[in-house]
Parts: sequence; C-alpha cells; structure tokens
Amino acid sequence: MYISHLSLTNFRNYGRLELDLSPGATLLYGQNAQGKTNLLEAIYYLATTRSPHAEYDNQLLNWDAAETEEPVVVGRLVAQAQTATETKRLEMRLILERNGRARPNSFRREVLVDRRKMRLMDLLGHLRVVLFLPEDVQLITGSPAERRRYMDITLCQIDTAYCRSLSQYNKVLEQRNALLRQIAEGSGSLEVLPIFTDKLITLGSQIVRRRALFLAGLARETQRVHYESLTNGRETIRLQYLPRLAGNGPPEQESVASGEWLSTEEATPTSIKTQLAEVLRQIQPADIARGVTSVGPHRDDWRFLLNGRALSSYGSRGQQRTAILALKMAEINWMTAVTGEQPILLLDEVMAELDAQRRAALLHTVQSAQQAILTATDPAMFTAEFLANTTSLQVSNGRISYAESTGISGQ
Amino acid sequence: MANALPKPVQRLINEFARLPGIGPKSAARLTFYLLRVGDEQALELADALRDLVERTRFCSVCFNITEADPCELCSDPNRDDHLLCVVEEPLDVLAIERSRAFHGRYHVLHGAISPVEGVGPEDLRIEELLARVAQNRLQEIILATNPTLEGESTALYLQRRLGDAVPKLTRLARGLPVGGDLEYTDEITLGRALEGRQEL
Ligand SMILES: Nc1ncnc2c1ncn2[C@@H]1O[C@H](COP(=O)(O)OP(=O)(O)O)[C@@H](O)[C@H]1O
Ligand SMILES: [Mg+2]
Ligand SMILES: [Zn+2]
Repeated sequence: MYISHLSLTNFRNYGRLELDLSPGATLLYGQNAQGKTNLLEAIYYLATTRSPHAEYDNQLLNWDAAETEEPVVVGRLVAQAQTATETKRLEMRLILERNGRARPNSFRREVLVDRRKMRLMDLLGHLRVVLFLPEDVQLITGSPAERRRYMDITLCQIDTAYCRSLSQYNKVLEQRNALLRQIAEGSGSLEVLPIFTDKLITLGSQIVRRRALFLAGLARETQRVHYESLTNGRETIRLQYLPRLAGNGPPEQESVASGEWLSTEEATPTSIKTQLAEVLRQIQPADIARGVTSVGPHRDDWRFLLNGRALSSYGSRGQQRTAILALKMAEINWMTAVTGEQPILLLDEVMAELDAQRRAALLHTVQSAQQAILTATDPAMFTAEFLANTTSLQVSNGRISYAESTGISGQ
Repeated sequence: MANALPKPVQRLINEFARLPGIGPKSAARLTFYLLRVGDEQALELADALRDLVERTRFCSVCFNITEADPCELCSDPNRDDHLLCVVEEPLDVLAIERSRAFHGRYHVLHGAISPVEGVGPEDLRIEELLARVAQNRLQEIILATNPTLEGESTALYLQRRLGDAVPKLTRLARGLPVGGDLEYTDEITLGRALEGRQEL
C-alpha cells in the first residue's frame, strides 16, 4: 500500500500542507526543527490514532492556531491510501473548543473514512506502517509498559478484533479495580465481583492468546533476519513472551513464566482461561487488600534473549541496536505475510547511527518497499545511486519543496 | 472590576450553567432572553419547574416518574401482568412504549452497576424488583438494560439474583439497525446479529 496524497491543516508546525507522494522511496531532508519528524508523525497518527511523541493529543494542534481567539479550532489530517484493491480517504480531525473563561477548553477527535463519520477505532487497518526511530532501542531497556504498547499498536494495525477486545478489557479492568478498592473499604459488593472477573478472564485470555501467536510469528522472523542479514549467523536471538499468568515477583525471577507454550497446540482458549481464572481466584484476597488486579495481560511483558541471555542486561548497545533493527525488519515481513500487502515504512534519522553492514541491509529493505519515507539532515550520507532512485523533498519551516537540481535531485 | 450584573441575573445564569450541556455563554444568553421576552413567559417557566418538583414522584410500583401513584402504566388494566420489562432509565420506558411491541409492565432501575462511578446494586431499585417478583406470578422478565459493559453487568447480576424466581428470563436481541448497511456494520454487531438469527 502507499499514500498518494497527504494534506495537513494546523498540524504541528504545518499550517497548511498539500503533498503528493509517490510509491518508492522519498527522502525528506532539511535542518533540525523544520518538520521532518512531524510529517512522519502525521502519517503514523493516521495509521494508528496514536502519536509516538506527544503525551496528549491536543499538543498536535498547531499552537499558533490554538492560541487564537477563535471559539473552535480544527486540525485536519487527510491521506489518500491506495491498496491493491481500493482507494480510501482517511481523515482525522482534532477539534479544540473554547468554553469561555470559567471552563476548561474541550478537545475531541473525529474520524472520517471516505467522508463518512466513524468511530476512532474504524480508522485502524486502512493504513499500515512500520516506524523506525533512533530511540527504538529503549524498547529493550525501557519499562514493560513500552513493550506492551509496541505489541498493542502493531497488532491493532492488523487485527481490529484484538483492538476491540483490548479496549473492552481496559474498561473491565478499570471497573474491577474500582470495585476491589470499594470492597476493601467495606462498601463494594462481593457479589458483583465475579461478573467483572468473568469478563476479565474471557477478554484477557483472548488477548493473551493473540499476543502469544503474534510474538511467536514475529520471533521466528526476527531470528531469521538477525541471523541471515545482520550478524552473518554469528548470534542467535530469541524473542520471549512473558505473560503475567502467575502470582507475584518480576518476570525475570520466574524461570517458569515463559509464555512460549501459549502459542503451541497445548494452549487452547479454554486452557488459558482456566489458568487465568485459577490464578485470579488464588490472589483474590491479596488483590482486594491492594485494590488492584495484579495478574492479566495488562501486566504482560516480553524480552529478547541473545545467545540465551537477557539482552537488556547482558547485551552491548550495538547488539541491542541490531536486535531492534531485526525486530522492525521482521515486523515488515510479518505484516506483509498476514495482510498480503506491504506496510509503509517511516524512518526517522535512523541511518546515521548504523554501521555499514546494517545500513546496507536496511537500505535494501527500503528499496524493496512499496513506499518508504525517510528523513535526514544531510542527504550526502546516501549514495548517489540511492538518491537517483529516490524522490528528495526539502523541508523548511513547515513547508515542503522539491529539491533543486543540485545533484541530489530525484527523477 | 465590580460585578455589573444584578444578583438575581447572576444567580439564574449560574443555575443554567449547572445544567448538563449548557456552558456559561448559553446560560447568559438564556437568562437575557427571559429578561427580554416579558414576565409572562418567564413566570410560565418558573411555574413549570415548580410543578415538576411538586407534582411528580417515583411510582411506588415501577419507579418510573409519574404524577399519580401508581403510574398510568402500572394501573392500566389492559396490560399483561405476567410480563415485566426491566430498564435503566425512565426514558427507556418511553422508547419501548414508542415501539408499541410490548404490553407488559415495567421496572425502572435508575442506573446501571458501575463501580467507577460509585454505583453499586444497592444504589439501584433492585431489592424492590426482587420483592415485586416474589409477590407476583410472572411468566417472563425481559432484561432491557443497555448493551454497554455496565448494562450487561447489571443484567448478569440480576440474572444471579433472580435465580429461578421466574420461569423465563430474556435479554433484548442485538441486531442490525433498520435501514442500516451491512457493509458499514461493525463486526461485533454483525456477529451478534448472526448469533441471534431467526428461522423464516
Ligand atoms: N503543536 C505545534 N505547533 C507548532 N509548531 C510545533 C508544534 N509542535 C512542535 N512544533 C515545532 O515543530 C518543530 C519540530 O519539528 P520536527 O518535525 O521535530 O523537526 P525535524 O525537522 O528536526 O524533524 C519545532 O520547531 C517545534 O517548535
Ligand atoms: Mg526530527
Ligand atoms: Zn408504575
């Protein structure tokens, strides 16, 4: 798939942008703080409804527009997405309404697919992207929440049923935790608890099963890419699911906590349900005392093992980078395999930090993608051969222009 | 800056602004409108509000909002005493009445179980429902709570509490909206419509 046109209004530092895009590789270059990252963010946002950078969605609105006296400010992202079989017009609106001095402003989002208003979730699945960021390596050393987020965003792009289960699960979890606190305080009803627990188990086991299958598939592909393209067969990487289906203690200390069995035949929806139900029953008194649900997919994790050891603790920075690169490249292949359609690649200044072999491997991936959009401050880091097959666009203060023919021109 | 508005004006603006969906601007607009249209219409409104408070109450049988107790629906001799429809809100009664497809009695819970909002079973008219069920020989109870997490949970809770106090316990079927387009129906609704399909 690819985007043929992108239009932005009041998004970040783009007041107004109309941009035609073509299949193949596009290089966005320009000095720092001009809007290269913002453009990739816009595409990613249309694909996932989430920003990789903003803490709150209202930060995405152009601040000059947001600070006017207008009672309503609208930001708009529109993409024409072309797949093998259809063209879709995807639109996200960011709406800020001012409610006078006494009340806080309100902010909401609207989604339109082919100009029809839809739920936010209905935007997912039309545009699929794989994003490469320099800070991706933090996925290895960062918190489990970041790794769950990665899993969820990736899965949601291809599986709307998963996304729906996840959002329902989070609602049930919130209700159940509130109820646990009330029970601890003596006001909650123990008779209501099993109702939320049952729902939690049903949805939770679906999520766990889906994640297990996803990670197993991604693990195989990551291992292959890592071995064949990135390390010349010197190192073996493994990706391991660490579901929180057992009692307390960090997963590192639970040698038996590996979730690999969950992607085997042994793991039927019923067997996962039974296990989750059993552990929830065992820890119920402790959960009531603490007022939280301490097991379930909201506490899941996963990790890399390099030659059998935890990459987060024993891997060098270089090894961690290579593993992440393998993961992302595998993600592309995995998405292509399950959807029959190549995702769009978004690469934000990731070439600079790679050594020659890994850069070559990534460039090869970029060149075989249906559409890839890269950013760089200096186009000189790319070979003339690469640039000859690439559309180069200059980004300057929220405006985009075709490169002047200074030897780095596109076609 | 001194408050240029007379106290009674500011008071009404504040009262309007407390209503859901009305911001301070609309509140001021409504207030000045009432000042302009003349005494009669403004007093009419005041009267209506007083009436609302003084002359309505909850029906002691079904807990719908009513003027007479028991309410019209509860005292209508032509309705079927063996059928009871349980809903969350008075407006739901109205919606079902508009369908003209139901001729039994109602029971209004006044909400749904939602721990996050601090609503438990004891905050709903559930004990009253159980008492009603014990006293009457019902053939069927229709649990017409909303198809939301809270509505579903309330229905499940009622199912537990009712046990086999009633021969037949049903839930509204979830299907396709009339005039809806199959292509644009989400897969959950479509899945449930398939589950609830009927033989022709
Ligand atoms: N909400 C916003 N409104 C207007 N400008 C913004 C907003 N958010 C970020 N910016 C500006 O965008 C620029 C950063 O753009 P970015 O895409 O990160 O640059 P780069 O080209 O280095 O990738 C900064 O100048 C920043 O001030
Ligand atoms: Mg940048
Ligand atoms: Zn009544």
